[in-house]
Amino acid sequence: MTPKVSRLTLAAFLGPAVFALAVVGIAPMLFAVWKSLHFFNLTKLAQQKFVGLDNYAAVLTDPVFWQAMGRTALLFAVSVPVQIAIGLTIALVLHRPGLTLWKTLTRLALVLPMATTYAVVGLLAQVMLNQKYGVINQMLGWLGVAPINFIGDPQNAFIAVILWDIWQWTPFVALVLLAGLSTVPPEIEEAAKLETKSNWTVLRHVQLPYLIPSLVAVLILRTADTLKLFDMPFTMTRGGPGSATEFIAILIERVGNRQFDIGMASAQAMIMLALTILLARLYIRLFYREVR
Amino acid sequence: MSARSRGLVTEALLLAAICAFCVFPFYWMVTTSLKTQVVALQSPPAWVFAPTLANYVEVLFEDKVGVALVNSIIVAVSTTLLAVCLGTPAAYALARFEFRGKTDLWFWFITNRFVSPVVLAFPVFLIARDLGLRDTHLALILMYLTFTLPIVIWICTDQFRSIPRELDEAALLEGASQWRIFRSVCLPLAMPGVAVSSILAFIFSWNELLFAYILAPKNAKTAPAMAVTFMEGYDVPYGKIMATSTLIVIPVLIFALLASKHLVRGLTMGAVK
Amino acid sequence: MRLKLHASTLALAAAGLLAPGLMLTAGQAGAWSLEEAAKPFAGTEVNVLFLDRPGYNAIKQMLPEFEAATGIKMNITTVPYENALGEQVRDFVAGGDIDIALVDLVWLGNFAENGWILPVETFTSNPALTDPDLDMADFFPLPLKAFGEWNGTLYGLPFDNYSGLMFYNACMLKDAGFDAPPATWEELKDVYGPALTKDGKYAYALQSKRNETQSADSFARMLWPFGGSFLTAEFKSNLNSPESQAGLQFRQDLMKYMPEGIVAYDHSEAVNALAQGDVAMLTEWSAFYSTLASPETSKLGDCLAVAPEPKGPAGRKPALGGFSLAVATQADEAERAAAWLFIQWATSKANAGTYLEKGGVPARQSAYADPKLAETYKFIPALVESWQDGVPEFRPRFAEWPAITEIVQEWGTKMMLGEVSVEEGAKTIGEKMEAVLAEAGYYDGKKPLAQ
Repeated sequence: MTPKVSRLTLAAFLGPAVFALAVVGIAPMLFAVWKSLHFFNLTKLAQQKFVGLDNYAAVLTDPVFWQAMGRTALLFAVSVPVQIAIGLTIALVLHRPGLTLWKTLTRLALVLPMATTYAVVGLLAQVMLNQKYGVINQMLGWLGVAPINFIGDPQNAFIAVILWDIWQWTPFVALVLLAGLSTVPPEIEEAAKLETKSNWTVLRHVQLPYLIPSLVAVLILRTADTLKLFDMPFTMTRGGPGSATEFIAILIERVGNRQFDIGMASAQAMIMLALTILLARLYIRLFYREVR
Repeated sequence: MSARSRGLVTEALLLAAICAFCVFPFYWMVTTSLKTQVVALQSPPAWVFAPTLANYVEVLFEDKVGVALVNSIIVAVSTTLLAVCLGTPAAYALARFEFRGKTDLWFWFITNRFVSPVVLAFPVFLIARDLGLRDTHLALILMYLTFTLPIVIWICTDQFRSIPRELDEAALLEGASQWRIFRSVCLPLAMPGVAVSSILAFIFSWNELLFAYILAPKNAKTAPAMAVTFMEGYDVPYGKIMATSTLIVIPVLIFALLASKHLVRGLTMGAVK
Repeated sequence: MRLKLHASTLALAAAGLLAPGLMLTAGQAGAWSLEEAAKPFAGTEVNVLFLDRPGYNAIKQMLPEFEAATGIKMNITTVPYENALGEQVRDFVAGGDIDIALVDLVWLGNFAENGWILPVETFTSNPALTDPDLDMADFFPLPLKAFGEWNGTLYGLPFDNYSGLMFYNACMLKDAGFDAPPATWEELKDVYGPALTKDGKYAYALQSKRNETQSADSFARMLWPFGGSFLTAEFKSNLNSPESQAGLQFRQDLMKYMPEGIVAYDHSEAVNALAQGDVAMLTEWSAFYSTLASPETSKLGDCLAVAPEPKGPAGRKPALGGFSLAVATQADEAERAAAWLFIQWATSKANAGTYLEKGGVPARQSAYADPKLAETYKFIPALVESWQDGVPEFRPRFAEWPAITEIVQEWGTKMMLGEVSVEEGAKTIGEKMEAVLAEAGYYDGKKPLAQ
């Protein structure tokens, strides 16, 4: 049984952390809510005024906002399935016995992309995907493909962001799924492998049930990270060309930081936050049952 | 036998391809950083060239990337230390004590993993302005607690739970206070968790861009924010950009390799062990 | 140096025909020198944001002389253009430490109306601080007015000055049988376009990336020569007038002679395309001359030639852009004085020659008086020609421009990409622009119609 402790002890242990997180996490959020009810533009501070829910009404009816949301959803819908497909393949290869040294090295290599500074990932994309000086186009040239204008064309730029997202996060998905695979009891897996030669059958009927938690984790974390996605497209395309890669976080940054309309940006951020908290609740319900 | 060895060869090739896929961009980053501007703008790109360290010399000393790296170290190390100091007692409490509202508190700690910095950045700019904290290390150190503290709390809670409770109870019988037990019995045993969470907190702080970009325009400017300043549409110095990128990325990659077994755990806030 | 200043002071006093106020100053303070004026402010640190462009690098090279003479320490932070407005606005709002504002002409109204910058008169009225040889009349009137003056008050002195020019590859033109660049935009499209667009090369590049480049270099550049404009006299949208539409439609038609993906071209890509011989003609800011002329960054060599921008049905109306330096209101007394001394020194008649030599483009008429200069700097005749006739409100300079430019950037790009028609795009920009202006109070008389 967990011991009951005095309120004072509890406060001494938890107080500092709770206080710190409240100050840095909650106070600014409340401030943002307050600002979101105002016309508040850094270049027009004299005209600052309370406008009630006007900003929210403007955001909810603003096609630009919904287009950015749609783009964010599309990025998720395209890149995450690819990440899962490739990631699962990698995980299955790594899960097989043998070639231990190779596999250890591969696991180490897989760690690199997800740890890389996201801003640098975007800069790397600029250098490697350049139509003329980029190594990717050079490689495509070896395969007989004409140089592709990755960054300059709206559609290609979106594809380029997807490709880069896949590069950075497929290893993550692979390692998460590998962790899931290792939860399959070895004796069950062995028994299944004796019964059938088809790897697919083993995957579908024996391993998949154990992979479900990992898959759900991937889906939810990738949703949250896609909503947060800022650094990489910011350094890669700044949301362009046109608004082809203006994802939701980039849009909010543009409104707040380049149009200086902090009231509007705060309203947008609050709507995004509501969505995030909904998703977080779902996540925690699915994964942290043990604590309850 | 031959079918089996053919299988092994295929597998080895596949593994090599995966490694190449992960590592090639870094190879390209480092080689580009060793090119002069003329070589970097060769079309098609050069694979063999006379390397130069000129870009490193230039970014470190002329463009103040050196200063930015020092700022990054100050901020990342301080926020990590602060997060450990604040987070380990809280983690201990979550692992050992029973109290009302524990689940809600837990939920709130973890939610921070999901909140986008863009939600907090603008109000924090205004608050920092009013408190005179703009462009100080302190502002960044505090804001980075929003993600370093939860990570320390999560990983250390898990670690404290794995320590046998009998140890606590024995100490309690000897009349030790809760704080003594935490400090002298459990914390030393939880050191692996503290180390892992510190490394993760360091990596995440080191990589952060948006807060740094908005809150620290000059004196406290960190390395990622510095890298962004090379993006003038006027002239794109590829060699310098990649030299800066290499300097930024190398420390995190080293730490990531050190904590490679736990990185995924950190990124998923423990959903995957 | 001291001696030189003396001599020019005397010369001015002797000439005695410019500003009577200045003459009086000269008479009283015959011994004015930068060293003397700066003495009380030695050790003062002055903070300013610079861009990574030739004009700034030129001043940086000259800076040791200023710091040695004055004991003032200049703290320069280099930022990309895209960040310069945001960082300055946040600094001013937060009461930060920037002492000199770097003012792009389109930020002028914004900075002035917020009271973030001080009128030049604050300092020129103080003889202790003001060089008797300041000679305002020596500035080209167009850049002085456009980059520094808002609603009748002068705030900044023109520092990093641009005019749109036509840079071209004379060798490519010659090979195609042209001895001279096109005189009009129509000629460029109908005669030069088809003749020069072949074998993977293109006749012309128009940098159009979705940032200020789209609205300034691309959208506005085609609007004005055809008689179009952003606003009518009543501040309503003029973008759907036949003239504006003709200009924007022209841009659309011209795209077939531009490289693919032109909407992603920023200055660097466009300049590089000309420098590498991939396009034959480029309308770009004068400041890019040094990039295009240097063998390190350009293959053009003697093929590089410069002309004023082509004329449209409404005349030349070349792109106009540039930055002035103004003293920030938030600076304290000593910083203000030191900042002013720097601005005055950096834009002075005496230093204009060196500034030019090191890659800057001064806005001083006297700097270009020597006809021999045109041999070294091929852009000079075209530049002087361009600054004779231009529109200060090439892009409106009021505080609402940052909001409006975002609209123009978004819809101007969509237009070029064919996602909306020219007419629809112009209509959308017009509606959104009018909404911004209505919000600001231009239509109910709350604000003077200044742009």
